[in-house]
Amino acid sequence: MTDPFNCMPKICEGGVFAILTFLIQYRQMETITLESQLFQYLITGVTVGSTYAIVAIGFNIIYGVTEIINFAQGEFVMLGGLIMVSFHVALGLPLILAFLATVTLVTLVGMLLDRLAIRPIRRPSVLTLIIATIAASIIIKGAAMLIWGKDFFDLPAFSGRNPITVLGAVIQPQYLWVIGFLIIIVVILTIFFNKTIIGKAMSACADNADAASLAGINVKRMILLSFALSAGIGAVAGITVTPISLMEYDRGAMLAVKGFGAAVLGGLGSFPGAVIGGLIIGTIESFGTGLIHSGYKDAFALIVLMVVLFIKPSGLLGSVEISKFKRF
Amino acid sequence: MLSIEGLSASYDSIRVLKDVSIQVPRGKMVSIIGANGAGKSTLLKSISGLMKINKGRILYKEQNIAGLPAYRIVGLGISQVPEGRQLFAHLTVRDNIHLGAYHYYKKRNRPEIKERIDKVYQMFPILEKRSKQIAGTLSGGEQQMLAIARALMARPELLLLDEPSMGIAPLIVREIFDVIQQLNKSGTTVLLVEQNAKTALKVAHHSYVLENGKIVLEGLASELLDNPKVKEVYLGG
Repeated sequence: MTDPFNCMPKICEGGVFAILTFLIQYRQMETITLESQLFQYLITGVTVGSTYAIVAIGFNIIYGVTEIINFAQGEFVMLGGLIMVSFHVALGLPLILAFLATVTLVTLVGMLLDRLAIRPIRRPSVLTLIIATIAASIIIKGAAMLIWGKDFFDLPAFSGRNPITVLGAVIQPQYLWVIGFLIIIVVILTIFFNKTIIGKAMSACADNADAASLAGINVKRMILLSFALSAGIGAVAGITVTPISLMEYDRGAMLAVKGFGAAVLGGLGSFPGAVIGGLIIGTIESFGTGLIHSGYKDAFALIVLMVVLFIKPSGLLGSVEISKFKRF
Repeated sequence: MLSIEGLSASYDSIRVLKDVSIQVPRGKMVSIIGANGAGKSTLLKSISGLMKINKGRILYKEQNIAGLPAYRIVGLGISQVPEGRQLFAHLTVRDNIHLGAYHYYKKRNRPEIKERIDKVYQMFPILEKRSKQIAGTLSGGEQQMLAIARALMARPELLLLDEPSMGIAPLIVREIFDVIQQLNKSGTTVLLVEQNAKTALKVAHHSYVLENGKIVLEGLASELLDNPKVKEVYLGG
């Protein structure tokens, strides 16, 4: 038997690798203090956690409209990374153009997912729809394997790979891009859901689809929009994280599990919760890998997920009052 | 204004409505009474587009609206207050009211929307006090008021009300029916479905009695109040 943790796809294996290389080089230059090493783990954790947070936000957007947990969420991230590699590296499109083209294409994949896997199901229950997303994720993964093969792909970092040293920790500029995009996404989505009528209409669909259509809301269009949005931000996560951790066809499932853990930890449906949940899981993973054993990296997120489900199933920021209204 | 001809509808293979025909003249209040399971809610859902019908025509202002999706029908001026309120429970009272105006929520309509919000707050002052509260935390009566307010935001010419008195204290029921009657007097056509036959017959001009999916009686509401059969079955003798 092979060790199950070794055959699982690993987020950020490349990232941890890159960091270790940096650390080794760094160690040769000067001795590392414990503080700087801990700070290093924190920075890495926040970066990896930002990716989880974006995946968790993607879960929340679709959950918020349909109460479906879209397990194909991780595939959007994987597609974002790999399509970007094709556009930017293989076709040589300039960074910004390739970025926009990739996000657009993955958004279309998200819309197709709704059209082909979700909408055709007659008399859907939340559970059948969730199973449909799992099937879709397997199909997307298979298609990606046929297109890109089983290799790892790298992407040039947006602004070079010259590390910045802060308090003895090595920070790749790309880390800042990942964290920065998380902040941008959170700000835009907060405004969208709290201030615009379309954002509110999307939440209304989750609360009560029939009542929403009585108010003149086209529920199917809102579901389509939710898939488009979460595919789009998933692509952004994939594009920004690939220069750090590389990307391969089967990364999606583990990303989905960790993003789901982050969403549950923060409280399913809560956007601030998704961010906090993602950062906590990323940080625990980073410290756990550094201080305990890197072999258990993927286990940390799952342990956190289980502990949350045992102790506080509504998550850190999910209110019990609101969770009473939930159907799932 | 609304004319339903030979309407049949079914859930799965069970026919719930059988050849139902009713007329709702402009400016009137029409009520449909009947026992639980007689098909009253199904009838309203067929009109508002939530329910697919098998046969028949639903003419609204001479246009057959049968088969249109619900989100389009509300744009034509038919607004339903669904059974059991069906609020957007996690959203605030204010958001619920705003979403009622979704189908014409555009910048140029802002003054009109503002005016309507003021109007519904005038009708139900308690909602203004609760405007920042989460809708799911309101009392039953307040929720019913909010459901009506939300439906009125859609600027209906025809208002469909499904059991507005259900599960609400008698005093509040009276308050709600006062508002409904005022609305009707100021020009909104009302189609009301009620198990509470006494109230439904008192406030309406014309009434229909629905039994097992068929219209068995119709007439002026005041006449039905004195009808011996109605008295025995629906008014408790």
